[in-house]
Amino acid sequence: MTFPLDAGRDCARAWEAMPWVLQGSAPPEQSAWLTDHLAHCASCRAEFAQQTRLRHAMSLPTDIPLDANAGLKRLLGRLDAPDIQDAPLHARSGTWFTRALVAAVLVQAIGIGTLGMRLWSENPSASYRTLSQAALPAPVGAIHVVPDASMKLADWNALLRTLRLQVVGGPNDVGAYTVVSAGPGTDEPSTLQQLRASHGIRLAEPVSTRP
Amino acid sequence: MNDANIDADANDRMLLQRMAAGDRAALAVLYRSYHGRLCRFLSRLTRRADVIEETINDCFWVAWQKADGFHGDSRVSTWLMGIAYRCGLKALRQHGDEAVESDPLSEERFSAHDPDEDRELRDWLGKGLDRLSVDQRVVIELVYGVGHSLDDVAVIMQCPVGTVKARLFHARVKLRNVLPGLAGNSPLNKENAP
Repeated sequence: MTFPLDAGRDCARAWEAMPWVLQGSAPPEQSAWLTDHLAHCASCRAEFAQQTRLRHAMSLPTDIPLDANAGLKRLLGRLDAPDIQDAPLHARSGTWFTRALVAAVLVQAIGIGTLGMRLWSENPSASYRTLSQAALPAPVGAIHVVPDASMKLADWNALLRTLRLQVVGGPNDVGAYTVVSAGPGTDEPSTLQQLRASHGIRLAEPVSTRP
Repeated sequence: MNDANIDADANDRMLLQRMAAGDRAALAVLYRSYHGRLCRFLSRLTRRADVIEETINDCFWVAWQKADGFHGDSRVSTWLMGIAYRCGLKALRQHGDEAVESDPLSEERFSAHDPDEDRELRDWLGKGLDRLSVDQRVVIELVYGVGHSLDDVAVIMQCPVGTVKARLFHARVKLRNVLPGLAGNSPLNKENAP
C-alpha cells in the first residue's frame, strides 16, 4: 500500500496521522509534528481541511427520523413476549426436529420388536453351539456308523433315506457318523441290523448314553 | 482512551451488570444513550428508518440476552457496535436492495428542519459515501464518526487490523477524489489515485 500522492515521506506520514489527530487520539508529539508540517505544506493543508470537513459531516446527527422512546417501547414489548418474537422460531423448529427424532426411534423400536417376535415364533427351540463349547450328549437311540472309505456319497444318502436316518454328528476322528431316526415308528434294533447288513458299512453300534 | 471515555465505559459496564440481573431500567438508559450513535452508524448501511429501528432493537435484544456473558475484553461501546454491525449485515441480507433505499416521505419531513449548512454538508458527504462499499462506509463511520481506533474497528468487524487499514486507506482515497474540495476546488491529484 502506498500513499496516493507523489509526495515525500513527510506527506505520507501526515496522511497516516490525520484521522487520529482529528479524533484527538494521537499522541501530543504526533499532533505537534502534523501542525508543523501543515504550516509549510499546502497540499497536506488542503487534504487536512477536507478531512476536517469530512469528520464534521460524519459527526452530524443522523438525518433519519427515529424516536428512541417509541423504539424502546417496542423493544420492551418484545421482551415481554419473547416466545412470539425470536424464541418461537427456534423453539418451533426445535420441537419439529425433536418430534421427528422421537418418531424415527419409535418406528425403529417397533420394527426391531416385530422382527424379534417373528424370529422367536418361527424357531423357538433353536439352539446354537460355538466351536469352543463341549459337544452335546448324543440323543437317545443314536447309532454310530462308520461307512467304508470306498462308499459313494449317493449310496450313503440312499441308505439314510431308506432307513429314515438323519446324521446329527460326525464324522469324528475315526470317521464315525452319529445318526438318529428321522421319523417315528422306527425300531432301533431293526435299524441296527439293517445297517450292519448294508453294503459299504464297516461298523454300526448303538451309542451308549450311560457311562 | 481518555478520562471521559473511561468514565463512560465504567458506567456502561455497570448498566450491563444490572441488565444481566434483569434490570429493565438499565436497559432503557443504555438504549437511549446509544440510540443516536447506532442510528447514525446503521444509516451508513441502509436509509430505511424501519430497518434501522428493527436492527437497533435486534442489537439490544442480543445485548439483553448476553449481558451476563460480557467479560470486559473490550469497551461496551465496541461490543455493542459489533453486535449492531452483525445485526445490520443480517438485515441487509434479509431485506436485499430495498433496505438500501430511503423512504422519501420521511427524508422530506426531516430535511425540512435541517439547517441549510448541514443539509449542504450532508449532500456533500452523501456523494462521497455513495461511491464506497458497505465495509468502507462502516470503517469511515467508525473512525471519523464514532472515533474508534483501528483495533476497536477490527474487533467490531471481526477482521484483522491490516484489513481495517486497507479499507480505511481505499475509502479515504476514493472520498478524496470524489468529494469536491473546499471553496469549489477540483478533486486533488485524481490521476495519482490507485
